[in-house]
Amino acid sequence: MSVPDYMQCAEDHQTLLVVVQPVGIVPEESFFKIYKRISTVSQINVRDSQRVLYIRYRHHYPPENNEWGDFQTHRKVVGLITITDCSSGKDWPQTFEKFHLQKEIYGSTLYDSRLFVFGLQGEIAEQPRTDVAFYPSYDECENVEKRIEDFIESLFIVLESKRLDRATDKSGDKIPLLCVPFEKKDFVGLDTDSRHYKKRCQGRMRKHVGDLCLQAGMLQDSLVHYHMAVELLRSVNDFLWLGAALEGLCSASVIYHYPGGTGGKVGARRAQGSSVPTEAANRHRPGAQEVLIDPGALTSNGINADTSTEIGRAKNCLSPEDIIDKYKEAISYYSKYKNAGVIELEACVKAVRVLAIQKRSMEASEFLQNAVYINLRQLSEEEKIQRYSILSELYERIGFHRKSAFFKRVAAMQCVAPSITEPGWRACYKLLLETLPGYSLSLDPKDFSKGTHRGWAAVQMRLLHELVYASRRMGNPALSVRHLSFLLQTMLDFLSDQEKKDVTQSLENYTSKCPGTMEFITLPDGLKLPPVPFTKLPIVRSVKLLNLPVSLRPQKMKSLLGQNMSTKSPFIYSPIIAHNRGEERSKKIDFQWVQGDVCEVQLMVYNPMPFELRVENMGLLTSGVEFESLPAALSLPAESGLYPVTLVGVPQSAGQITINGYHTSVFGVFSDCLLDKLPGIKTNGCTVEVIPALPRLQISTSLPRSAHTLQPSSGDEITTSVSVQLYNGETQQLIIKLENIGTEPLEKLEVTSKMINTKGKLFGDFLSWNLEDTLSQFPLKPGSTATFIVYIKVKLDFSCQENLLQDLNDDGISVSGLPLSSPFRQVIKPRVETKPINPPEASKAGDFSHVKTLEAILNFKYSGGPGHIDRYYRNLSLGLHVEVEPSVFFTRVSTLPATSTRQCYLLLDVFNSTEHELTISARNNEDLVLHAGECQRMAIQVDKFNFENYPDSPGESTQFANPKQLEEERQQAKGLEINSKLDILWKIISFWKCREGEARVEGVLSQLVLEHLQLAPLQWDVLVEGKLCDCDIVTDCTVGDPVKLEVKLTNWSPQSVGPFSLTVIPYQDYQNGVHNYDLQDGITFVGSNTFYIDTVKPTENSVCIGALLFLYTGDFYLNIKFHEDNSCRELPLSWFCLPSIHIRAHLLLSTQVCY
Amino acid sequence: MESRRVHWLPEITRAEVRAKEEKGERPPLSKMAVCIAVIAKENYPLYIKSVPTENELKFHYTVHTSLDVVDEKISAMGKALVDQRELYLGLLYPTEDYKVYGYVTNSKVKFVMVVDSSNTALRDNEIRSMFRKLHNSYTDVMCNPFYNPGDQIQSRAFDNIVTSMMVQVC
Repeated sequence: MSVPDYMQCAEDHQTLLVVVQPVGIVPEESFFKIYKRISTVSQINVRDSQRVLYIRYRHHYPPENNEWGDFQTHRKVVGLITITDCSSGKDWPQTFEKFHLQKEIYGSTLYDSRLFVFGLQGEIAEQPRTDVAFYPSYDECENVEKRIEDFIESLFIVLESKRLDRATDKSGDKIPLLCVPFEKKDFVGLDTDSRHYKKRCQGRMRKHVGDLCLQAGMLQDSLVHYHMAVELLRSVNDFLWLGAALEGLCSASVIYHYPGGTGGKVGARRAQGSSVPTEAANRHRPGAQEVLIDPGALTSNGINADTSTEIGRAKNCLSPEDIIDKYKEAISYYSKYKNAGVIELEACVKAVRVLAIQKRSMEASEFLQNAVYINLRQLSEEEKIQRYSILSELYERIGFHRKSAFFKRVAAMQCVAPSITEPGWRACYKLLLETLPGYSLSLDPKDFSKGTHRGWAAVQMRLLHELVYASRRMGNPALSVRHLSFLLQTMLDFLSDQEKKDVTQSLENYTSKCPGTMEFITLPDGLKLPPVPFTKLPIVRSVKLLNLPVSLRPQKMKSLLGQNMSTKSPFIYSPIIAHNRGEERSKKIDFQWVQGDVCEVQLMVYNPMPFELRVENMGLLTSGVEFESLPAALSLPAESGLYPVTLVGVPQSAGQITINGYHTSVFGVFSDCLLDKLPGIKTNGCTVEVIPALPRLQISTSLPRSAHTLQPSSGDEITTSVSVQLYNGETQQLIIKLENIGTEPLEKLEVTSKMINTKGKLFGDFLSWNLEDTLSQFPLKPGSTATFIVYIKVKLDFSCQENLLQDLNDDGISVSGLPLSSPFRQVIKPRVETKPINPPEASKAGDFSHVKTLEAILNFKYSGGPGHIDRYYRNLSLGLHVEVEPSVFFTRVSTLPATSTRQCYLLLDVFNSTEHELTISARNNEDLVLHAGECQRMAIQVDKFNFENYPDSPGESTQFANPKQLEEERQQAKGLEINSKLDILWKIISFWKCREGEARVEGVLSQLVLEHLQLAPLQWDVLVEGKLCDCDIVTDCTVGDPVKLEVKLTNWSPQSVGPFSLTVIPYQDYQNGVHNYDLQDGITFVGSNTFYIDTVKPTENSVCIGALLFLYTGDFYLNIKFHEDNSCRELPLSWFCLPSIHIRAHLLLSTQVCY
Repeated sequence: MESRRVHWLPEITRAEVRAKEEKGERPPLSKMAVCIAVIAKENYPLYIKSVPTENELKFHYTVHTSLDVVDEKISAMGKALVDQRELYLGLLYPTEDYKVYGYVTNSKVKFVMVVDSSNTALRDNEIRSMFRKLHNSYTDVMCNPFYNPGDQIQSRAFDNIVTSMMVQVC
């Protein structure tokens, strides 16, 4: 006996073996159809008794195993059913002959046999025969089952007779010695009469009867027989049969204890019986052993009324513990015989099944371990596979999944062993798949996405490699691509650099024939292989949705209702709301994307591979609005650090868009990587709102682009900036071309400007424009252009810097200390002073030509199209960078009183800080030519200003402004007034285009100068002979005639002034610096030389009159002096500015003529 | 694999007979372990080292399958009180060439040692003390603040201890 039946289990000992075989040509399909039907009749309740007969059907049984039938009767073929196909009566005898031949194979053991003939009709079929049944076809055989039952009953009759025959055979007749095939020669010539031999015969026969009883459904009897056999055989050291007897005892006990069966898959077979299940259910409770201990309880419950048998059963039956011990003993006896290897192996397997039910895995594993080492003859490859598979199955049954997987894998490898001519790659692959759970490996990459890989990587990797290889050899490249992708994705951390290279290389080889997809692969047995997205090639660390560039960012028009106010809570701030988790989770981003505009998502990726990674067709996966993804291809260097990748796309409609992930194609494998499946990814949110389309404005200017980047203080950024260089005071026209490069019409435009650095003092408007002309061209169709003109005026401070001031101070003219109204001042005559700057200083001209920078932003807010309806607009900023070079400086400013008290000279020292010759002109003045770096004084005669006329309107409007500010404003207004009168212009001709600009004096004017330029609020008019007298006017009079002198004070100041007293002091000027005040002889006052003026109320005037008498001819001057008293001390000195009076006294008009 | 059988029954005599039959080319005696593995609670290797390095995968399989027995033993032990538990699991299973011993810490980290089965010099007590030594060294590894529990053990000190327990097969 050499062919082990690995499927055997203990309860097979009670079965009758029936072989069902085809004879002649029977279609396999039909045969198995009938075989299946026959197999359903696996247990029969023998009539009139509670005994149950179990049948084991085999369609193939090696006859040499049959030879062991005496040793264990369940190995004996007792029944033969032959199925044949016979179409005509002609073939019938031949067929019948075949049936007989078949019978002879198992002839020695057969109790009965049957022949099922299909297809034969006619007279032969009419004959009633017990051993032959005729059926017209495989489909018309309703009574097959009935036939089988009859057949089994006939088998039972034979069995029962044999059992009774053997059991009662206790007479003095010689008991034959039963023996196994290999023993036969050993007993030749043995003394058959010895007591030893007789005992041996008895023991073996007892055991045989035990087997028969068990088969006949008499469990109790069998136990008794087995016990007796054990005792008999033990005494004669007949180990092989002792083992068999022990095993029989075990089998019977197992059948008793485990009516559910130990085979597992056929466990339900007993449920078919009618009375047995209830019996079994009653008998087999969890505490089966308790039942054995307390037979009384069993009696009350048991259906069998025969108490004696029940008690006996309890006595004879082995306890579950004992079963294993006896099995061990039996196996140890079997192991003494090399020829009983199969018996030993099968016993081991049976014991393991029992232990598996008892959940005693450790002991089971010992039995299995023993089974592994039982050496049978040289096994065929197929048998090896079967052996390993069954070992695997048994290990699985006892919960040793790893061991099971190990053997399954060995079996799989055996399927494709090199010695096999036709390797069964399919079987190998199938078996390998079954090992996956044992290596705690699932083929779903999701199981690996959580945290780091936890598993036995070395063995898992090996298995995956084998799967890849097997699937390739199976001729299923898609499958190998899937497995290889899985290997690469999940085992990346465990692959060495060389392995990474090898794996990717073979992956590329496979994908060149069959690219990897994102579809499930369904295997023939229904297993679905989920797609393997390469989330680690490259590894994505963060996903960031980017806002649109500033110029394209949509902004919401502020609604009047103030939508920004949260209506959710009455609190302005509450920490509870701030830390609301729900809001955090919603991941909504606070910016918007615009339909039709390219939107960007930035990924930080890195390449974990030791070589360059080419990622193709990388794009975004989105949901929500329609999105046109523009895929990118990238090449990441080996072991790259974090590498930014920007994926772009265009939303095609408005609404909400969610970035779900990205897709890639790496090594020919297409992957869809979803973000929520990626571990440790940073994201700022994935859902963004897409607003309806807006137009796009592009601006181009007449000025060159600036290299400078403006640094705006607050959030807004500059799209483009232009720069221009201007001389101080110059005006430049900036032509801006507005082009709508979008697809929506541009309907609205608003322009605002904003200065950035306001450090330098700027006079006048820096930028000015007229929007109406531009707006008349609106709405701007896509692609069309409009122009917009902005004037840039730079008017910085024209006062010179401090360094310059110091530099020129050696001139000796003090600005501040100028006593304006002093008539004694020598430098009365306006003059043009030329002060050449020495060469070394000219080289330092850079110090003066200090370039100032002005920066401003022009904001274009525009909108149109559907976005405008939704109240969105865009803002485009144009930066303006103006470098202001100084043109002219007023290094010094001073005033000189003009001859008239109503006028004065404004002296301006003008310094040309440019490198060019320039001319400077003022109103009513000649042009002045200044060479580069030259400084010249220019005097401009101006009428004094009556600043009091200005209403304090600015002061009133800004009531809360502090006095200082108020004062500044007032001064500014004054400056403006002065400037408009002066109208100073400069012109540089040396350029290809004449450049000109104005120069403003506001910044130069000090308080003192302003005071001097101001008309005093007290207006003093001196009239000589009724004629208004001013500095330049010479009044003629005649010697001897009294000259009437009138002093009139008009008070324009807001308060009353006076009283004043004035003294008229005459003197003669010799034009050499000597004044002669000793004129008592020359001039006589008519009346007092002192005038008194009473208090003058505002806007009123007061006149006092006196007279003079000139006694000699000559030029006389009158100096009117105020008496120093308290009243006039309170008022500023400049208010008491009286003209000096020049009177020329003649003798007579006639004498004059005589000259 | 099918060359020798196991002595799980002391009275088995045939196995001995067979073993004698096959006598002749036994591997040279090695005094100590041929493979030592540390396995995490979640049953993946933290450390594995074997002496004949050329067939490392074989030991991977040996140790991996031994985990079945370890699991079984632990689950059987589970009923016992934690502090009274014996950490040493004893012989897990014998194969034709090797004996596999197990040891489990209270944190369910397993140590598995594979010893050449011809090595009869190694007694149970010695195996036990070797495991204890290994456990101490492992504790030292765990005390390293830079070691992340669950990572591969790369400690040199631990490696030295392991190497000292394994003797090169000459």
